[in-house]
Amino acid sequence: PPSQSSQSLTRQGGTRKGLKEEGGLGDAHAGHHEEEMAKKTWDDMLQEVKLFLWNPETRKCMGRSAQSWGLILLFYLLLYIFLAGMFAFCMYGLMLTLNPYTPTYRDRVAPPGVVIRPYVDHGFHIAFNLAEPSSWEPYVTSMEHFLTAYDDHVQEEKNVQCTPGQYFFQDDKEGDKRQACQFKRSLLQNCSGTEDPTFGYAMGQPCILLKMNRIIGYRSGYGTPVKVDCKVQKGDESDIQSLAYYPESATFDLMYYPYYGKHTHINYTSPLVAVQFTEVRMNHTIPIQCSLNGEGIINDYSNDRFLGRIIFTLYIGM
Amino acid sequence: LFQKRADIYSVEIHGSKDLEKVDKGDEKENYKDLKGNRKKSKKQDDLRKELDLDDHKLSNEELEEKYSTSITKGLTSAKAAEILARDGPNALTPPKSTPEIIKFLKQMVGGFSLLLWAGALLCWIAFGIQFAQGVPSARDNLYLGIVLALVVILTGIFAYYQEAKSTNIMASFSKMIPQQALVLRNAEKKEISAEELVVGDIVEVKGGDRIPADIRIIFSQGCKVDNSSLTGESEPQSRSCEFTHDNPLETKNVAFYSTTCLEGTATGIVINTGDNTIIGRIASLASGVGNEKTPIALEIEHFVHIVAGVAISIVVLFFVIAVSMHYAVLDSIIFLIGIIVANVPEGLLATVTVSLSLTAKRMSKKNCLVKNLEAVETLGSTSIICSDKTGTLTQNRMTVAHLWFDNQIFSADTSEDQECQTFDQSSGTWSALSKIVTLCNRAEFRPGQEDTPIMKRIVVGDASETALLKFSEVILNDVMGVRTRNKKVTEIPFNSTNKFQLSIHETDDPNDKRFLLVMKGAPERILERCSTIMINGKEEPLDKERAEAFQTAYMEMGGLGERVLGFCHLYLPEDEFPDTYPFDTDSMNFPTSNLCFVGLLSMIDPPRSTVPDAVSKCRSAGIKVIMVTGDHPITAKAIAKSVGIISATSETVEDIAKRLNIPVEQVNKRDAKAAVVNGMELKDMTLEQLDDILANHSEIVFARTSPQQKLIIVEGCQRQDAVVAVTGDGVNDSPALKKADIGIAMGIAGSDAAKNAADMILLDDNFASIVTGVEEGRLIFDNLKKTIAYTLTKNIAELCPFLIYIIASIPLPIGTITILFIDLGTDIIPSVALAYEKAERDIMNRKPRHKKKDRLVNEQLAVYSYLQIGLLQSLGAFLAYFTVYAEQGFLPYTLLNIRTRWEDHSNNDLEDSYGQEWTMYQRTYLQWNGYTAFFVSITIQQVADLIIRKTRRNSIFQQGLFRNKVIWVGIFSQIAIALILCYGLGSVAALNFTPLRFQYWFVAMPYAILIWVYDEFRKLFIRQYPGSWWDKNMYY
Repeated sequence: PPSQSSQSLTRQGGTRKGLKEEGGLGDAHAGHHEEEMAKKTWDDMLQEVKLFLWNPETRKCMGRSAQSWGLILLFYLLLYIFLAGMFAFCMYGLMLTLNPYTPTYRDRVAPPGVVIRPYVDHGFHIAFNLAEPSSWEPYVTSMEHFLTAYDDHVQEEKNVQCTPGQYFFQDDKEGDKRQACQFKRSLLQNCSGTEDPTFGYAMGQPCILLKMNRIIGYRSGYGTPVKVDCKVQKGDESDIQSLAYYPESATFDLMYYPYYGKHTHINYTSPLVAVQFTEVRMNHTIPIQCSLNGEGIINDYSNDRFLGRIIFTLYIGM
Repeated sequence: LFQKRADIYSVEIHGSKDLEKVDKGDEKENYKDLKGNRKKSKKQDDLRKELDLDDHKLSNEELEEKYSTSITKGLTSAKAAEILARDGPNALTPPKSTPEIIKFLKQMVGGFSLLLWAGALLCWIAFGIQFAQGVPSARDNLYLGIVLALVVILTGIFAYYQEAKSTNIMASFSKMIPQQALVLRNAEKKEISAEELVVGDIVEVKGGDRIPADIRIIFSQGCKVDNSSLTGESEPQSRSCEFTHDNPLETKNVAFYSTTCLEGTATGIVINTGDNTIIGRIASLASGVGNEKTPIALEIEHFVHIVAGVAISIVVLFFVIAVSMHYAVLDSIIFLIGIIVANVPEGLLATVTVSLSLTAKRMSKKNCLVKNLEAVETLGSTSIICSDKTGTLTQNRMTVAHLWFDNQIFSADTSEDQECQTFDQSSGTWSALSKIVTLCNRAEFRPGQEDTPIMKRIVVGDASETALLKFSEVILNDVMGVRTRNKKVTEIPFNSTNKFQLSIHETDDPNDKRFLLVMKGAPERILERCSTIMINGKEEPLDKERAEAFQTAYMEMGGLGERVLGFCHLYLPEDEFPDTYPFDTDSMNFPTSNLCFVGLLSMIDPPRSTVPDAVSKCRSAGIKVIMVTGDHPITAKAIAKSVGIISATSETVEDIAKRLNIPVEQVNKRDAKAAVVNGMELKDMTLEQLDDILANHSEIVFARTSPQQKLIIVEGCQRQDAVVAVTGDGVNDSPALKKADIGIAMGIAGSDAAKNAADMILLDDNFASIVTGVEEGRLIFDNLKKTIAYTLTKNIAELCPFLIYIIASIPLPIGTITILFIDLGTDIIPSVALAYEKAERDIMNRKPRHKKKDRLVNEQLAVYSYLQIGLLQSLGAFLAYFTVYAEQGFLPYTLLNIRTRWEDHSNNDLEDSYGQEWTMYQRTYLQWNGYTAFFVSITIQQVADLIIRKTRRNSIFQQGLFRNKVIWVGIFSQIAIALILCYGLGSVAALNFTPLRFQYWFVAMPYAILIWVYDEFRKLFIRQYPGSWWDKNMYY
């Protein structure tokens, strides 16, 4: 009969609804939850954070009571004191193994690098205008400042005279003070700044000082002094018409080596080679490479542009 | 028509129909519907409207009219094409899935990706600024940004690939579409693709075909269909053109899309196609049931939040510090990149995925095939298992369980591989009974199976007869021989009116010319026909007392939920029935009363032998096992009792009522631990009542439930905050399987749809396999904790260098690229190796983890890893760093505040502690040497970290240092990778590695040993003082 079947089917529909309602309830529940999440305003969040930071009911801060915090902080204090102590002990142990006068390894610092003076504004671009003294004054100041330690009287007072052409070995006991050889700035003649306090800058014949990096125990050149050679790096060779080296040999004399370290070789002054660009093309930026030549010197390592060579530019404006 | 809507979800498959009761339920449910559930998705409303399955009630003529078709001629091609255009093809539309590109992009921004993107972006910004400024090392930042982006993209691709592997549920629904259909069109029969079928088509199906659409049968000849994929019923159902039931699913004149026609032929009118079919609706429902996030996914999200939170706070803190220390903004940005990269465990998510898939592999060896990787852990956190009975808990075959003869009940062996029966077989009654069992049986072994064990042989015949055949074969070993010696003369097969089966045989005794009449059937019917009973081999009169004994035994066996059969025989007198007597089964010209009753046999689908053990394991593991079955409550309860789902001492409300002899209503429901809930009761229950049952009974059996009711039960369990595992095999189980936290489909009995909806497939259909799965799931949760703890530890050792670098202005101890080499290089294999770690204690003796309380990454884990072990590691690594610098001439105090001069590219005569002068590149190389030393130290200490992470509570020596070989593979790989990076790739400048003096590998060793010793003490105190302050704060 139709009525019965319709009832039955309605029932079935109903059951389904009932069922769906159950499913729906689950969904609604989840939905509600989501809404809750969405509805959580910043205020609520803030409240929650506040409650987390300080819960007045349980008297807990960030989920821990005062006692609990005390214990945990005490624990970490002790632990960290212990760890700090252990680390300090290890560092002390490390220091004990080190020789105070010579580093354990010197393989990374050799062969030596080269630097130039003047050194202004962290750069290797020497550019100035003859007409404007302010443009070259910083270079002069830098040179002058650098050469103070090479004043003849300072050198005479502190350092000894050595025999040129041979190493100045001082095989004393480790830790004993070593003597340093004199390197008087007068050796630099035109570039010494004594006759021309502007080191040639005012005349468009600037001086550049070359210094080889110090390496303890390094015997520069292995018997033959290392020689300096400056030329145009890229471009027209004729941009530099003439230049002069001081000392004229353009070498770092053997007697300044070996270096014994700053703790023993107290007044050591690095030997220098000065280069004076006596005639160069004006109003033109000239890239110049000064390289060391000698046994054991590497001057063509592509990754390190300061190893055994230095590249700088020179621009003299009129 | 709108009122007359049926729905698959309402279908009561096993329940009986009681219209009065239904009416009551109707009111209530309508009321329910009015009250709640306003928010219905449009889709569901549509579904309901279109549902008007009253076709089964219509006559053929009405049907012809309704679908404007002709039973004799079918539709015309033109009409069919018109309807096809209107309704679309007869195929299931796949659900709208998120486009693959969206899924992919989601992976690109999920997890730590956003942080890394931020890092990459900062890199490019820094590059842009530096490039504009002409800084020579600007390109480093460009490359680092590219590397970071690559890391994100690669891990994203990995995650996407993993996700894509889990198959789409619709895939198998579409696979089920029958290919061809025989259809009557233009008065001609022709084969067309089933997709072209339209409503009103007349189709013919025959045995072996899949039903091509929902069809109303108009003609049938012995047609039987297998509806198991739809309703869960395994018995073949006959289909005819009679309208037998209001319910469209129950009525015999409708056959459903995708079910199989087993035998016979049928012709029908197509009444629903494609998505409108019952299967189509279930498919859309199954895809409609939302896939909730797995517990492990939530845990990982939680963990990502913690790490990201830590990272962001440190980033903000140090940005402020850096700016207030007057660092340039650009420098500060570069610091941030390092902090981000150091803080994010780039390789961890991939490691977790790999660990899960390794466990999945291990589980598949134990017959649990995991489809969705995250389900591996879900199984471990399962707190309720809703299990099917048939096939999962039981062997899915009838087996003789008890015998009654000589006034005595005997138990038979019901195990899977029985070879002999041990009950007393000396009585004469037994030989008579065994003869009846053997002869009065039409089942036969399929030939050629002599070498197969008896229980595994394939039998032609129904379930009970198969049981009896195997039973007698086990005892007699020569059933077929006995049958040939006792030649069958005639027989009456079992039918539902007679309720007995009878056959007449010659005897195997050549001197005995009598015929033997043997009969079996429903015990009460058999007893009616008997006047004597055999006791100890002698016929004795069947008096009242003996009849009562029979009744008691029958009740007892029936009470065990077993199917009982009675057996009787009669030797026909030789004079009345000579050799040539013409037996006629129609006129029954032989006696069928006054027979001799011999005995009773009862059969049951016995539990699998491994199940009771597995159930008790579940119990000790704190997992509630709920049986959900379509079977009769008595059978269900009996099986539940025998496997321990209802323990021996528990009682149901009904049991208590019976014991105390009071009405059920008066029993205090709290007294009953167990409950057996009938599907009919369940239907009338409110949600609260169901919740009450689920919460207050620890042992629950749902009997006579439709597979659809499973969904309600699952939802009920989930309301209890439980992680629910559900087993199922039918198509209509798929919504429940999807709804469950972990759906487990049966590999043998399961339909494709169920397998697709499930997260896991039980290859052997065995409940015990679930338990081994649970064990693996719990183990992987523990091991993931270890993996994460291991991975997080070194993050501090990677972070501290940046912090010290900013604060103390020392040369940078470790580079960003180097960090990536730790996170994605040396650490990957060891952290995966932790997944192979064995359980520390019996993990099956503790409660399932609480979803919200027992987190994967808790405060203790983070704090212990970050602030204790991580810090120790940093100290060890810094010791190596300072050693390398000091031995090259830069003593620690010189390094302080050296950063600006150190990083000045124009400063090429930087003086060290000894007065030597360094060029920029020489310093940079030394810095890389420092990176390498720092890297190596972290690696060495990570070896110690790896070893301590093997256990969380036990001493390493209890756990065994060498039991997990994979850990050692991890350690060796770690060291090997470090060696290769250091000495093999040390000359590749871009990687920032340099060869390292051999002794520096050992500088951090004391710290590595300290880590181990410290952790051993931690574990010792945890074991010694459980519940103490130490335990609470140090156990993660």
